[in-house]
Amino acid sequence: MNTDLALVGPARTGRSPGTVIAHLTARKAIRSGVLWGYIFGIVVASSALSYVSIYKTQAQRHRLDVAFGSNNATSALFGPAARLQTVAGFTVFKASMTLIILGAVWGLLTSTRLLRGEEDSGRWELLLAGQTTRRRATAQVIAGLAAGVGALWALTALITIVAGRSSKVHIAAGPAMFLALALVSSAVMFLAIGALTSQLGATRRQAAAYAATVLGVSYAVRMAADSGVGLHSLRWASPLGWVEELQPLTAPRPLALVPIIAFTIAVLIAAVHLAGARDLGASTVPDEVHDTPHLRLLSGPLGLAIRLIRSTVMGWGVAIAVSGLLLGLVAKAAGGTISGSSLKTVFTRLGAPGAGADAYLGVAFLMVAILVAFSAVGQVTAARAEESAGRLEHLVVRPFSRSSWFWGRLLVAVSVLVVSGVIAGLFTWLGTASEHAGVGFATTLSAGLNVVPPALCILGIGALVIGIWPRATSVATYGVLTWSLLVEIIGGIGALNHWVLDTSVFHHMAAAPAVSPNWGTDAIMVAVGAAGAVIGGYGLTRRDLQGE
Amino acid sequence: MHQLGSFDVQGFGGYDQVETTAIRTEGLTKRYGDVDALSDLSFEIPRGEVVGYLGPNGAGKTTTIRLLLGLIQPTAGRAEIFGLDCQHRSVDAHRRLAYVPGEANLWPSLTGAETLHLLGRVQGKVDEAYRQELVARFDLDPSKKVRAYSKGNRQKVVLIAALMTRSDLLVLDEPTNGLDPLMEQAFRRCIHEAKERGQTIFLSSHIMSEVEALCDQVGILRDGRLVEMGTLAEMRHLSALTVEATFDAAVPDLSRVPGVSSVQQDGRVVRMQVRGDVEPLLKVLAVSGVKGLLSREPSLEELFLAIYGADPSQTTPAP
Repeated sequence: MNTDLALVGPARTGRSPGTVIAHLTARKAIRSGVLWGYIFGIVVASSALSYVSIYKTQAQRHRLDVAFGSNNATSALFGPAARLQTVAGFTVFKASMTLIILGAVWGLLTSTRLLRGEEDSGRWELLLAGQTTRRRATAQVIAGLAAGVGALWALTALITIVAGRSSKVHIAAGPAMFLALALVSSAVMFLAIGALTSQLGATRRQAAAYAATVLGVSYAVRMAADSGVGLHSLRWASPLGWVEELQPLTAPRPLALVPIIAFTIAVLIAAVHLAGARDLGASTVPDEVHDTPHLRLLSGPLGLAIRLIRSTVMGWGVAIAVSGLLLGLVAKAAGGTISGSSLKTVFTRLGAPGAGADAYLGVAFLMVAILVAFSAVGQVTAARAEESAGRLEHLVVRPFSRSSWFWGRLLVAVSVLVVSGVIAGLFTWLGTASEHAGVGFATTLSAGLNVVPPALCILGIGALVIGIWPRATSVATYGVLTWSLLVEIIGGIGALNHWVLDTSVFHHMAAAPAVSPNWGTDAIMVAVGAAGAVIGGYGLTRRDLQGE
Repeated sequence: MHQLGSFDVQGFGGYDQVETTAIRTEGLTKRYGDVDALSDLSFEIPRGEVVGYLGPNGAGKTTTIRLLLGLIQPTAGRAEIFGLDCQHRSVDAHRRLAYVPGEANLWPSLTGAETLHLLGRVQGKVDEAYRQELVARFDLDPSKKVRAYSKGNRQKVVLIAALMTRSDLLVLDEPTNGLDPLMEQAFRRCIHEAKERGQTIFLSSHIMSEVEALCDQVGILRDGRLVEMGTLAEMRHLSALTVEATFDAAVPDLSRVPGVSSVQQDGRVVRMQVRGDVEPLLKVLAVSGVKGLLSREPSLEELFLAIYGADPSQTTPAP
């Protein structure tokens, strides 16, 4: 026997087998955390800087506080507005709820992707065949996700500290770090919830849907608590309410971290326990693996596309309907605060001149436009996933051309986006009508349709990328959307020249119903999207099908 | 050009070709950057033939199939299926063929029955009775969702989806991936039946016994080039004959006999490989007191390994 060889054994990899999965996950989570950390930081910084540039005098700030400080409608939507006469109070009010929701969505999507998504793909099986168990592997993924949260927090805190050093903003490092902590705490909780639902659902999609339901319920409970109808204590029944109770910058309450930490730990323990208690690939919630065939839509690829996206589209539809309804319900009250106030100038600068519900909805409809645009990006990435997963091959090796598939998917996507616009207009009108806000059905409907062209433009750009550079589809379409969002946020303080502003698809959207939709500009956006789709469709027929 | 069959069709894309040639490639080449995945591939497969397509991983088998299906574009050359250009008339070509991939990536939320219904509708033709028969033969539970199927069961779905169309051409890329031996037998029966019906079958496989049992012709790829194509009988020259002689007296020295190699003696039994003419060996054996003589032609596996340079004597002899 060669004793030298026996002593040497297998080559060492330089990394303990007990941490390989954690490192692998951390690499992906940190990348994502850094990207979103930049976005979080820029949103916070731009909120603070916009405040000091718009509200220069104490009198202006006082009027703002009077207008929004006790407005129950805006409080229900965006959280309570405390100390709006200070830059700190305004920054928390403007940035918090958006980033808390974004953080929660990032958390649930990231953890379900890196846990259940890896399991669905079969890669998890390879890792579990190594020196680990299902529970240890799940714990390692959670450790990797924690590194991603760390990156998210660090970038958010760093940019906030840098912005806070401005003499006009003046936010000290300690409060800035606590603000960042408050903003990422929803991400932490929903990472944990995503880890748990990854054990409950049979697929990544199911796991994400369960976690999204928790988020929706949490938001609704928090909204009821903040609506000023005597349900304030309900805040403690919602994870998002706990985040609000932290009250960063205005009246910090570190003790509110206790339920957040306790909840996160309890959920993670449950997730790790369930990971070991179930079979690989199985779900804790019983999964109905047998089903009677439902063939109505399965007569061809077009019907298949509808069948595959219908549950996701219904989810988006509900979100858009609820958003429209809420905006309609608060439009009258919120619009009333614009009249005669300095806000009128701000709204005019944002493209919504005038006052009242129309002006408020003109600015607030940007939120609906963003939701519809996200739906467009979802359609594009879902179409690309059909190709990258190899499922498209089953269709195009039959007498069915790539072009037919491509244009069929686009037809479904365009229909979904147009219906989304109609839903937004309809439900906003229902909200305004119930409050007698004086906004007509035709006005809200055209405002709803007005949010469709930016989404169609993004859809066309996505179709272009599918055709010519398919592996970049997700990055490119999310990139266009994120860039447009950032330009809108930063552009709101007048810090960008018109060349940069023009690169945002939302910048070209008229602030309807405050002003009439600019159908000419909308037509140009649709034409840009259509041109992208035509080139993309041609490119698809001239290139190889490509996997991941 | 490698010719499979007894006729030579002139021209490319003519009427006669549609009737007699199932697949034709001419100078088909696919390059990824500096890597030649497939180089100058030219062959014809007549209608009604069952052709095995062999090669190790990365030799270019799947690339060939993806070019034939029009899923990827050739760097040079062209391919036709029943006289229809695989790139420019792919939809028409696809009406005449059915394809089974090695990896069955299906829609997880659909059941087996829904998947078969969908794929049948897209194909545009299905022998419903035969589909029911195939579901029974392959012992598939069609009410299950695809995500709950094992790898083998997913493979059954794509096999049934292809066979139920009774297409003129079946293009099979490692079709028995994940199937158990019983299902492999069921698959072989289906291929025999398809052949009897006059269907053409292009079978890419790693399983030599499967190709040997099913195929009339075999093509062997090496580094993207077609190095051999023909019937098994035509390819015997590539490997040596295995001979086993039992002597009742002293064993003579056979290692110096022309054409004899790899001589292994076990008592009075000698095993050896013989290339080319066997007459010199027979002359020596005739005067050496041979009690018994066994000879066996090389198996497909031995032929394959001979082409790839492995020592055939190290392989397991075919039964």
